[in-house]
Amino acid sequence: MFWRKTQPSTADDLTAARSDLLIDVRRMSKIYHEGRENEVRALDDISLSVRWGEFVCILGQSGSGKSTLMNILGCLDIPTYGTYRLNGQAVSDMKPSVLSGIRNREIGFIFQGFNLIPALTALENVELPLIYRGLGHEERHWLAVEALAAVGLEKRMAHRPGEMSGGQQQRVAIARAVAARPPIIMADEPTGNLDSASGQDIMAQLVSLNERGTSIILITHDEHLAQMAKRIVTIQDGHIISDAPVKGGAAI
Amino acid sequence: MSWIQTVRMAFRSIMNNKVRSILTMLGIIIGVASVIAIVASIQGTSKLQRLQYEAMGVNRIEVYGYGAKNRDWRDFEKYLDTELSDKVAAWSPQIQYYDWRSGGLQYRAQKLTNENSHTYMFFGNQDYGTVTSHVIAAGRDISKADCDSRARVCVIGETIKKYFFGAMSPLGQKLRIGGKSFEIIGVYEGKYGGKINTQDQLVVMPYTLQNTMMSVSDFTDKQYVIKAARREDISELTQTLLPDFMRSRCESGGGWFDAYSNNEWQEQAESGTNMLSLLGGGIASISLLVGGIGIMNIMLVSVTERTREIGIRMAIGARKRDIIGQFLIEAAVVSCFGGLIGILLGCFLSALIGNLLLGQIQDGYMPVVEQFTVLPSFGLIVGAFLFSALLGIIFGLYPANKASNLQPVDALRTQ
Repeated sequence: MFWRKTQPSTADDLTAARSDLLIDVRRMSKIYHEGRENEVRALDDISLSVRWGEFVCILGQSGSGKSTLMNILGCLDIPTYGTYRLNGQAVSDMKPSVLSGIRNREIGFIFQGFNLIPALTALENVELPLIYRGLGHEERHWLAVEALAAVGLEKRMAHRPGEMSGGQQQRVAIARAVAARPPIIMADEPTGNLDSASGQDIMAQLVSLNERGTSIILITHDEHLAQMAKRIVTIQDGHIISDAPVKGGAAI
Repeated sequence: MSWIQTVRMAFRSIMNNKVRSILTMLGIIIGVASVIAIVASIQGTSKLQRLQYEAMGVNRIEVYGYGAKNRDWRDFEKYLDTELSDKVAAWSPQIQYYDWRSGGLQYRAQKLTNENSHTYMFFGNQDYGTVTSHVIAAGRDISKADCDSRARVCVIGETIKKYFFGAMSPLGQKLRIGGKSFEIIGVYEGKYGGKINTQDQLVVMPYTLQNTMMSVSDFTDKQYVIKAARREDISELTQTLLPDFMRSRCESGGGWFDAYSNNEWQEQAESGTNMLSLLGGGIASISLLVGGIGIMNIMLVSVTERTREIGIRMAIGARKRDIIGQFLIEAAVVSCFGGLIGILLGCFLSALIGNLLLGQIQDGYMPVVEQFTVLPSFGLIVGAFLFSALLGIIFGLYPANKASNLQPVDALRTQ
């Protein structure tokens, strides 16, 4: 906004201040309606750490608490108890406006429902986080075009989401998530609304991103899909019940 | 996010909902247009009135006296010339000559009698034209020498010229007035379009001929017209300076004295129209208020409809103030745009109403006002625009705040 200074911003100054652990969650709980009859312990005393460059799958059934975990890891929500450090910054007690900045700079989201803004073109959707970051017109245009080209949509930039297939929309969402080159991509059931061919395409994009150094947190209930990650954290009833590397590595 | 971006986004969102945006704007358009049209046409009427008063003579004071002796009137004239010289710009006697005994005004065989029309015939001095705002169109005005030598000359108004001479020049021609011959030395410009029975049907003769023309020699009944130097002097002259000097002299023998100026009516009328424009503008701004509520209503609907969009924006880094700014600017753009259209419409309407009013008034025996347009003043336009922008911001504030207070998690969950 015009009354605000531009955020300090390129992707480089984030990585410059790298902490050892990308994600460091300690004894974290998320309790809804605490102390009341309808109290729900969505996450119960969870500890988890993710290093830079990992491809972690959080696997769990519906209601296991994996979405709550994703919301907290994605700084969309704050934990009730415990600490969460993202790249060394304690985000659990930050103000909403600071969290907005963190989401903008550090995290790229890919949602199951794509979550593109229907009124904007593909290019404008991809530019949106860059606008909020305060980048100049040329720089963000260039970054957005590059990101769209990377997902193979350079010819669909002027199209609106309604004019594209589900797979194409999800690729726009990936472009939006990676355009600003955040250190982490969080993908919540990214293939849930897609047919298997499009799903595989999206997964291939994620694997390729990871190979180029981006850390990826994939949230899914699909055990087969989870095999494509390098590490699987299984969650059930708000507890982590297993945390193990994937044997044999990814196969599409 | 830069504010240019925000304004652009606001435009996008307005264009995406054209019909809705236009309907929302309609409230503001009607409100602004009616405020402007009402206030401008009231102000225009007042201006027209002022112009018409001024046509009769700027800062004109009329003096009527009865019962004073000739010596007293000479003192009065001296008083005007000496002690009041800084407050009185010019003065002239104004004695009306009625020709009902002598068969009217005559040029060769043509007659203009009082049976079918009324001719204003006045005796005045060299300043009569100045005091009554008559401008010479051809020839010359009466001079001091004419008065001193009792020259049989006259200046005529446009109606007389048209009636007797048409397109020909009347200069040097002789008119018969009261059976006596007068050379026409000048013509006054018409102020009433040269129509019959208006004050353009005028003949002015040197005041020194009064005794020759009218049989009663020792007049005690006197009229003067005085042009005050400044508008501010008028009330002092009419209320104290002139009456204080003459009242006792007139009233000693049961006569009376009165000095008045239509400036006072004019001021009263103007303060009346000012009240009226406040009232009219006030009533019309109620519709602006309704328009503002319309904006709030639509913005609230828009927030509800776009909850998911707000969630997405927040997830990818929009701050609370970005969201507030987006919705606020959207509301302000709608209302400013409506305001601009309203201003245009208002200007058009006031010009239309002004012309209607002017047409109505000009049909009567009122001075012709050639250069006249009813348009809102610059201040009114700027005021209306700022008010509509303010309205958008005020009524956009609540919906914008509501949008920005959504939790990203909850907003994303909405379908």
